[in-house]
Amino acid sequence: MFGTSDERRTLWRHMREPVLTAGALLVMLGINVGLGATLPVPHVWIVELLVAAVMVATILWFSMEVRHEPPLVKLFAGIGFFWVGILFTMTLVDYLSRG
Amino acid sequence: MTSGTITDGPALREPHTPDSRLGHGADYLHAEHTLRSWFFTTDHKRIALLYLASITAFFVIGAVTAGLVRLALVVPDGQVFTNDTYNKLFTIHGVVMVWFFLIPSIPATFGNFLIPLMIGARDLAFPKLNLASWYVFMTGALFTLASVVLGGVDTGWTFYTPLSTAFSNTWVVPALIGVTIVGFSSILTGLNFVVTIHTMRAPGMTWFRLPIFVWTHYATSLIFLLATPVITVALILLIAERAFHIGVFDPAYGGDPVLFQHLFWFYSHPAVYIMVLPGMGVISEIVPAFAQKKLFGYKFVAYAAIGLASVTFFVWGHHMFVNGQSDFASVAFSVLSFAVAVPSAVKVYNWTATIHKGSLKLDTPMLYAMGYIGLFVLGGLTGLYLATLAINQHVHATYFVVAHFHYIMVGGTVLAFLGGLHFWWPKITGRMYIEAWGRISAFLIFIGFNVTFFPQFILGYLGMPRRYHVYPPEFQFLNILSSAGSTILAVGYLFPMVYLVYSIWFGKRAPANPWDAKGLEWTVPSPPPAHNFLTEPVAPKVPYDYPLQAQETGRQHS
Amino acid sequence: MSAGASDSAVGVKLVSHFATVEQQKRAAVLGMWAWLLTELLLFAGLFLTALILRLLHPEAVQEAARHLKFWIGAINTVVLIGSSLTMSGAIQLSRLGWQRGMVRFMLATAALGTLFLLLKGYEYYADYQEHMMPFLSDRPYELKDSPPSRLFVNLYYVATSLHGLHLMTGITILLVMTWQASRPGFLGQHQNRIEIFGLYWHFIDLIWILAFPTLYVLNR
Repeated sequence: MFGTSDERRTLWRHMREPVLTAGALLVMLGINVGLGATLPVPHVWIVELLVAAVMVATILWFSMEVRHEPPLVKLFAGIGFFWVGILFTMTLVDYLSRG
Repeated sequence: MTSGTITDGPALREPHTPDSRLGHGADYLHAEHTLRSWFFTTDHKRIALLYLASITAFFVIGAVTAGLVRLALVVPDGQVFTNDTYNKLFTIHGVVMVWFFLIPSIPATFGNFLIPLMIGARDLAFPKLNLASWYVFMTGALFTLASVVLGGVDTGWTFYTPLSTAFSNTWVVPALIGVTIVGFSSILTGLNFVVTIHTMRAPGMTWFRLPIFVWTHYATSLIFLLATPVITVALILLIAERAFHIGVFDPAYGGDPVLFQHLFWFYSHPAVYIMVLPGMGVISEIVPAFAQKKLFGYKFVAYAAIGLASVTFFVWGHHMFVNGQSDFASVAFSVLSFAVAVPSAVKVYNWTATIHKGSLKLDTPMLYAMGYIGLFVLGGLTGLYLATLAINQHVHATYFVVAHFHYIMVGGTVLAFLGGLHFWWPKITGRMYIEAWGRISAFLIFIGFNVTFFPQFILGYLGMPRRYHVYPPEFQFLNILSSAGSTILAVGYLFPMVYLVYSIWFGKRAPANPWDAKGLEWTVPSPPPAHNFLTEPVAPKVPYDYPLQAQETGRQHS
Repeated sequence: MSAGASDSAVGVKLVSHFATVEQQKRAAVLGMWAWLLTELLLFAGLFLTALILRLLHPEAVQEAARHLKFWIGAINTVVLIGSSLTMSGAIQLSRLGWQRGMVRFMLATAALGTLFLLLKGYEYYADYQEHMMPFLSDRPYELKDSPPSRLFVNLYYVATSLHGLHLMTGITILLVMTWQASRPGFLGQHQNRIEIFGLYWHFIDLIWILAFPTLYVLNR
């Protein structure tokens, strides 16, 4: 598809990061699927949740290129998760304290 | 007092451009005349007028149903309407007033019209999206209106499950779909404002040179963006449960209806600030202009807007004290609710301090603004009663609550809306209304409002529950008083509809700045040119640069 | 064939109400992020519901989760990660001005998105076969001894179909844009549309990355 070696080199220079990102995501997915299929230890969900959080951060930071964006976009990328935190925390205040 | 000449003569009917405008190009009202140029416009000023016309129509519908509710409550035995009709009436009133009038009222009209003018931009960042938001709004609103009027819905505006999903025999699903659609229009408006305020400010227009109106609309837009999707998903879950039996709240299977209330109030409590914050922005413009005095504590007022928009997300549980939420959660939400009083009070003190020793002109907008401040304080303080667990047990779901939120939403938002309408009417239409009529109706509304709603505080405290039209006879006197007040209120609402419309054709021509007010919107002609600014706007060095200023040093009390 | 390398001009055409192209591009990026905020909060409501159901009825939710098609979900995650990669490829090539290569990457992205939907459809069919559709009145529910499990299964349908709806919207927009982008001159005027759409596509991927563990993995 891309004829000259120059073009291939340019292509790889631009695609290296997306490819590495996808690779990292697949490895992390593999970890989660493995843990989910085997359930090696009780409370493995804590690990699974952490892995999923790292996957989300990877997509934001690399795939969506937040790290190249100005501070304002970084703020917008993060603030939603903070608000999700409010929603979860305040609702759990109710459910975790029910007798 | 005026900085331009006023000439008499008809406005919209004029076939040719008035002399004063020659060489400037037509203003936005005269730029084009076809229906198409209105319904497919992307001009933020014209879209604001589309919204103004639609929400006025919805206000009339909401007001008529309120009148019918008050009519039913004149007699204690519930003989005026059947129970079902009464339930449907207060549902129409609540749904229409909350979703189709109060929430879009100030942002979608004045916000749309003024934000680009105030920040020195040619339009909002996404003009087509702005037009789309109006069409989305009208689609959802008319759809809901058709279902609540033709079929009727009896759940109240809150759509609590399992009443809404399992027991109501009315047209709940169409109403839910309509309200969900209207939510998208809020989201699009909020998105447009946030992006516009961040990226479209004129050179030199830094954040701390922005009018407070822009700050409060920024805060409101954040709530639109962060809260609306949560109610969207809650309503989608209700629709799935009622229409397809794909339910997650059904207590018959062990589901928890309280979870719906959490999702509902995560939006609907902040929605109170969607209604209140823009009104605070309006008041923050009117008060300095009519005191001819710099806004006291500008930065505090600005930060208080952002503070309110954030704190409001932590307090929603105070709507659920008696609904099965844990005691610990109730205590937590109660304590946090008191925090809301702090930024609210900051604003009230700053307006009061601005009025103090100002050079006051009690024109119509200022009358509304002063009415607002008083009623908002009363509504806010009774909110603190309601946030107190012990008192809430006594007055929960009584007329005390009804009176409280009407003091905030009518005494607050509606007065601010009317104040803003009178304040910016000359800018929007290029015409002056008759001042005497403005003052008379402002007084009528203030008096009518208090006669209508103050008795409801007493009724609620004595134990009259909301949403019933059969009540013990000893409550009849106060109910008649309240209904009588609502007729005064109705007259007060009718007057502006007449004299404002009259002024469009027969009012005096408005100069660019009839109130000697500061702010970029007053530097352009009235009505503004189609592209807002004839010359590159120059940001003021200081916001609210009025002649008078509070003494920063020296003894205040002598 | 050096098809991909037929370089075309890359840029964005100024729309009249903006002062500069830079301002216009910033507004577009910020607008999409603001939209994505709302998408995140939308799905957060569903994730919260999953968590609360789990807290209220741990055994029933576990039983229901074990009936979900874990492996189809896992394969679908791989498919979406792949589609994110091809979308990133389309963005990179749009910056280089390699129009034809970009169009191919976009088509590949749409194809992977469609594959996800097909697998999802098969999964629903398998659920139907296993009597895991409690809302069908004429079909007895597999876990009828555990009423609360219905709630979780219902949530699974709402969440996955809402995500599917987003994906379907994404594929439709992508195909329309691919058609526009295949015409000459597109990249010279609207290059940033590819980037803005890319944000949306990655975000749907992100939502699935959260939905997959929430529904399939954590509750096993």
